[in-house]
Amino acid sequence: MKNFRFLILSFLILTISCEKMVEGVNDNPNDISVADVETKLFLTGGLLANIQVQLGHLNRISGMYSGQLIGFSSLYSNIYGFNLSTAEANSTWNAVYVGVITNMRHVVNTATNPLLKGIAKVVEAHAVGTAASLFGDIPYSEAGNPEISDPKFDNQKEVYTSVIALLDEAIGILESATSASISEDIYFGGNKNKWITAAHTLKARFYLHQKDYSNAFSSAQKGISSPSDDMKYMPRGSTNVAEGDKNLFWMILEGSRAGDIGNSNGNLTSYHLQLLDQANSSSRNHAKTDETARFNYFKINSGGGSLNKGVIEQFESQNMVTYFETQLILAETAGRSGGVAAGLPYLNNVRAWLNSGAGVNDNFLNQSFKYLPFDASDFNSGGIENTDNVDSKTAFLREVIEERYVTGFGTHIPFNDARRLRKTDASFAVPYVLVNGQNPPYPERMPYADNELNSNENAPAEDPGIFLKTVVNQ
Amino acid sequence: MEKFQKRIFYSLLLCLGFAQFSWSQILSGNVTDEQDVPLPGANVIIKETNTGVSSDFDGNFQITIEEGQILQISFIGYITQEILYTGQDQINIKLLSDNQLEEVVVTALGFKESRDKQGSTSSIISAQKVVNAGEATLANSLSGKASGLRISRSNGDPGAASTIRIRGANTIDGDSDPLIIVDGVPLNSDANYSGGNGITGGRTGGVSQNSRFDDINPNDIESIQILKGASAAALWGSRAANGVIVITTKSGSKGQAKITFKSTYSFDEVSERIPMQTTWGQGTSGKYNPAGVESWGDYIPDRSGAADEVNTSGQYFESYLGQRFYPITQKNSRETFVDSNWDAVFQTGTFFQNDFTISGGGEKNTYFFSLSNIGQEGIIRNTAYDRTNARLNYSAQLNEWLDFSAKSTYSYVYSNRAQQNSNTTGVMLGLLRTAPDFDARHYIGNYYSNSGQEFTRRQRSYRRYLGNNANPTYNNPLWAVNEQVSDSRVNRYTFTPQLTISPSDWLQFIARANVDTNEDKRVYFFPVGSAGDRVNGILQEDNIGNRDLNLDLIGKADFSLTDDINLSTTLGWSVNDRQYKRISGRITGFLVNSTKETTSLNTAAEASSYENFRTFRSSNRGYGILNFDFFDELFLNVSGGLEASSTIKGTFFYPAGDLAWNFIKKGESNVFSFAKMRASWGKVGVQPGVHKFETLAEGSFNYSTYSDLLNVDLFGGGFRLDNNLGNPDLKPEIKTEWEIGGDFRFLNDDLTFGFTYYDNKIEGILLDVTLSPSSGFATQYGNFGSMKNNGFEMDLGWNIIDKPDFSFNTSLNWSTNENEVTDLYGTDSIDLTGLSVSSRAIVGKPLGVLYGTGAQTNADGSYKLNENGFPQITSSPIVLGDPNADWRAGLSLDVRWKKFFLRTVIEHSQGGDFGPRTLYVLRRFGTTEETANRLTLSQDLVNYAGKVIPAGTTVRGNIEDFGNGNVLLDESWYRTGIGGGLGDNQLYNLSIYDATFTKVRELSLTYNLDSPRLNTATGLSNILFTLSGRNLININKVPGIDPETNITGVGNGFGLDYFTNPQTKSFLVTVSFNY
Repeated sequence: MKNFRFLILSFLILTISCEKMVEGVNDNPNDISVADVETKLFLTGGLLANIQVQLGHLNRISGMYSGQLIGFSSLYSNIYGFNLSTAEANSTWNAVYVGVITNMRHVVNTATNPLLKGIAKVVEAHAVGTAASLFGDIPYSEAGNPEISDPKFDNQKEVYTSVIALLDEAIGILESATSASISEDIYFGGNKNKWITAAHTLKARFYLHQKDYSNAFSSAQKGISSPSDDMKYMPRGSTNVAEGDKNLFWMILEGSRAGDIGNSNGNLTSYHLQLLDQANSSSRNHAKTDETARFNYFKINSGGGSLNKGVIEQFESQNMVTYFETQLILAETAGRSGGVAAGLPYLNNVRAWLNSGAGVNDNFLNQSFKYLPFDASDFNSGGIENTDNVDSKTAFLREVIEERYVTGFGTHIPFNDARRLRKTDASFAVPYVLVNGQNPPYPERMPYADNELNSNENAPAEDPGIFLKTVVNQ
Repeated sequence: MEKFQKRIFYSLLLCLGFAQFSWSQILSGNVTDEQDVPLPGANVIIKETNTGVSSDFDGNFQITIEEGQILQISFIGYITQEILYTGQDQINIKLLSDNQLEEVVVTALGFKESRDKQGSTSSIISAQKVVNAGEATLANSLSGKASGLRISRSNGDPGAASTIRIRGANTIDGDSDPLIIVDGVPLNSDANYSGGNGITGGRTGGVSQNSRFDDINPNDIESIQILKGASAAALWGSRAANGVIVITTKSGSKGQAKITFKSTYSFDEVSERIPMQTTWGQGTSGKYNPAGVESWGDYIPDRSGAADEVNTSGQYFESYLGQRFYPITQKNSRETFVDSNWDAVFQTGTFFQNDFTISGGGEKNTYFFSLSNIGQEGIIRNTAYDRTNARLNYSAQLNEWLDFSAKSTYSYVYSNRAQQNSNTTGVMLGLLRTAPDFDARHYIGNYYSNSGQEFTRRQRSYRRYLGNNANPTYNNPLWAVNEQVSDSRVNRYTFTPQLTISPSDWLQFIARANVDTNEDKRVYFFPVGSAGDRVNGILQEDNIGNRDLNLDLIGKADFSLTDDINLSTTLGWSVNDRQYKRISGRITGFLVNSTKETTSLNTAAEASSYENFRTFRSSNRGYGILNFDFFDELFLNVSGGLEASSTIKGTFFYPAGDLAWNFIKKGESNVFSFAKMRASWGKVGVQPGVHKFETLAEGSFNYSTYSDLLNVDLFGGGFRLDNNLGNPDLKPEIKTEWEIGGDFRFLNDDLTFGFTYYDNKIEGILLDVTLSPSSGFATQYGNFGSMKNNGFEMDLGWNIIDKPDFSFNTSLNWSTNENEVTDLYGTDSIDLTGLSVSSRAIVGKPLGVLYGTGAQTNADGSYKLNENGFPQITSSPIVLGDPNADWRAGLSLDVRWKKFFLRTVIEHSQGGDFGPRTLYVLRRFGTTEETANRLTLSQDLVNYAGKVIPAGTTVRGNIEDFGNGNVLLDESWYRTGIGGGLGDNQLYNLSIYDATFTKVRELSLTYNLDSPRLNTATGLSNILFTLSGRNLININKVPGIDPETNITGVGNGFGLDYFTNPQTKSFLVTVSFNY
């Protein structure tokens, strides 16, 4: 029995300090501690996530649902037929909350430079405002806090209000900041004035969504006043690298999704292209307007990215917040309150810009285009923009909205306008159809992300469906 | 020491083949059992010398001996005899069977113990059964041989890893493979899917990977034991929840060197093939289109049959075979290429395996050496698996109280794999989507544009029949086979030295160490012109290294507490340290269109990337075991282990206990020869993933919403907070299991029967839960789930006939497992596979259920139909099926008649569901026979588009009644509607099949040539000739696809395929020479 006790004793000695032996082994050897990374290095990722929110999968879907694009085969043909599942929203939803909010708040919380704080707030507002417009009620007041695992869903209007307040905060911070060259700022390179004017245009956009036209007008007046201040996604990199930094639409068609989505295929052309097509009965070409160059510029060869020289060319930039949008918000809101005379200068600003060749890229400058300024009389009964003899204000607003529809290709503008104007302003809304697709009613929102529905106890039990009108469009 | 060196020298001599077998003066003898049945392989040695021989097949032996020496004859299961030699020429020895013979089990620590005294269950698979399987890899050779053990090979790729699962699923996100213990130490048995495999989608795209488990040479194995229950495995703590497979390798036995040489040649064929159509051309809406995606074009027999009309004025493609292809203006040819395309991709696979062993030993030492090579060519051309193994096991008794042994191995494994699954560079995706009227054989050549410009090395695919675009969209399968490379070269060494100190007969100390290192160098090469975003070329090299160290110090002591109560105690301490590193370099976008695998293809800095990734983990455990033996009838076994592991917060204690009651022992009853009841209980765990405590800054990430990836590295780099929220409080996942059972033997042990019922619950299951993304993080890894299993296992063995010239025995194993995921902490489901039909963990369902969109149903289960009588899609995914089998069984039959042996193993899996998504998506592509039906309508029928097709119309389609009368399933259903399968919004419940299968895993016939003439002429004791078949008979209900196929390879998700490489059936010829 003595031996037995001896064994037990040696066992005890051996097992002591078990834990000590493994201490520290689990420190991650691969990734870097958050505290070790300079704050500005978190900016690029948030900006890329925001690009996906504005220009990614849901943008292409909103384009299909507003007559801009056609889903030809595979997934996009299903979605074009209104078979849109909640899974399709996962990546965009993640980009908003995990990509943008988490990282931009980290920048706000850790940055010492007010420029970075201001930029981060604008980016958050941009992404969240877009999300509210697409989904309706979304989590926001409790979002972005890992302590709250099930954030509640806020009313869409409240989210817009918070987002506009955030933009105001951002503008205040940016005004006190000084510009600096920041290469991580892939939108504006650290130019604070560009951020400030973009923030004002975003405010104008979000007021417009809520049909608050007077605030939209006053915000747009401080918005982007020069095309060189446009916020765009600018592709870059080597022609040899097909993935990762190119025009998003080009990447879709260049990879395995070739043939799935586009706007023309044989005899089928989208309503958007029909408007531009000289030969089409819906054509908007007339004595003062020649859309030949833009028609070809916007025409997508869906057979492969590299077959394209126009709007989805490998390095073609993609619009997010722009001069033309600002001017057309001014044109619409001024037109609504002050008629043709008040709104026309803004519309003509856009036409002058287009007439300089800005509506196409260099590959199409050798084709014909013409955007002569309109006179007020062009909108009078029998004028070239009023051949069906409606009142001049309606004719003017119809042209403004149509311009937004045409030039806004690739952004959420056409989808947002369609939903906003459908109920009350049908007389000047764009009467688009989904070529070879479904008939009205058209979708009114994007479905919530499957992941959110599954994980958040405060989410609705089921997505309310894509035909439910969101609060601001009811 | 001098003696030790001499031993090594001696062993080396033997290895090199210089050993001499000669004797001058001879004693001839014969060894038999009590019934005069010859005992082949009995050891005959001369005591206190190095001389020894073993008896041949007829029990005969010859040995040189001097008068006065002592002859010792031993044979396992018989009492060893010692005979003083008195000068006679001939001796007949009759060995008496050892009544005390007990079947031996090897415990988790590597100790041999009596099976009858164990309170927990285990299955034993003999070396013979492993080798006889004729499988190229070890894992597959275990199929159907033990109850509760499922081996699923995910495809027929040479060297591909198989899923090994004991008693169902024990974890959701963690590693589901059992722990492999070889000679008492854990072995790295990973299948690694990381690195460049991700270029084409990783597990669900990519290529099959090897498992390091299959580096073991099956010929080295003495026995395999499957420890299924928690109590038997508890000593391995947080690594044991998936069960433990204990492998013991061979050692030499005292006596003359035994040499065996065995050669096997195998012919492998594709086991099943999806029926493809040859009557409808490429295109849509009944019109031919030579660049069309689908094959819903014209009716081929309606073509004129003349040569195609082409436009020779401009662009053309000239294939490497010299044929020119011009733009087709009028398709006339009726020629189809389904078979010729298939034959260009597939071949009769082969392997040639050569195994050499030499073993033997002297009075105080033994050695076993083996050398083995298998060279395999897969059924897909250019795929290969080439493995070379060497092993030396040596042991020596250094003195009265000190034993030393060392086991060392070296393996070299080369393999080249073919891209597969959901992957546009895959072989099957390109092959099965190809239109029947496209000749895939002209897959590469030069393209000349209208302006006469030449583009060399262009790929020609069915959607780019002129090669007029660098991107083929889907690879031509021959490009995938001939131009792409995914190879792997593994060098592996293991070394296991052990010292055993026995200071007295009741006390023993063991110090056992092990080092296991391996390096896997992988190359992935996609030349310019490969499909998708590989179009500009990608080269990636991964250098993956593992280094595992293990040290065990064990003390074992036996005590007699009273006359009737014995106690055996084991105390031990074990340290384990594992390091993993991967270094990856990649060149994306080649400036030069060349097939040389060199970084010089693009030297621009932005074209290349470098990554290193490491994981470290270590753990140490102290453990103790108490084995009580009461009255040699009741056996109580109590153990506990205290473990600290780097991936776990704090220390954890793993207790276990089991009890066995031998209530009938041999001789107590005429019918019952033995009966035991047993019960056991224990806890085991699963270790958390490594380095998960903190939320870190993550670099090199990307954002993609749908095939539109933005990579932060291409925008100057950057960081984000890791999407996965860190968790500093990780604990092991704990499985608590109890089991009861019994083992019975009847009729003098000829009939054996064992059963076990087990029930376990697994708590704190480790997984990444999807957080509400709105909380700011996508996922968090932690102890977030629970699950339970219960099941029944039965093993039956019967030696029906056992005569000298004829024996017939059979064994049957049968098992069930019921699993249910009981909690996921608020998350509705965890995706185990990805893809639009996924295998998932869903609360209240068995792990792995198939999930996707399907048809809306009414309360009575009928389809909710639209106004035209067609089903409608559910708005969200639903549970489509359960891939878990209801029960599984394995039946073995062994017949010996004179010198012939007939063996067979049949495996049956009953129930469960399988989702062959390949079949479903091919409906959309219109390439399968299922979509090729042509009929003239006898009634007006409406199609999915709502169009009424009048009676008398001849259409391509099928008639179906979903519950509201006949409707027409035509192109508008399959291609543009919801009856095909691509993306998230299709009727996937129509693609679910019953997964029941029956396979004849093995069928072999052996002839044993062992005539005395052979022995005299060649020195050979015998030659065995074997003909065998593997998976020759395969009965299942899925057309053209084996339901064992699994798109994710080794993983927790299963029951799905999507252009996965096919399975094989084989025919083998083996010749084995035994000296």
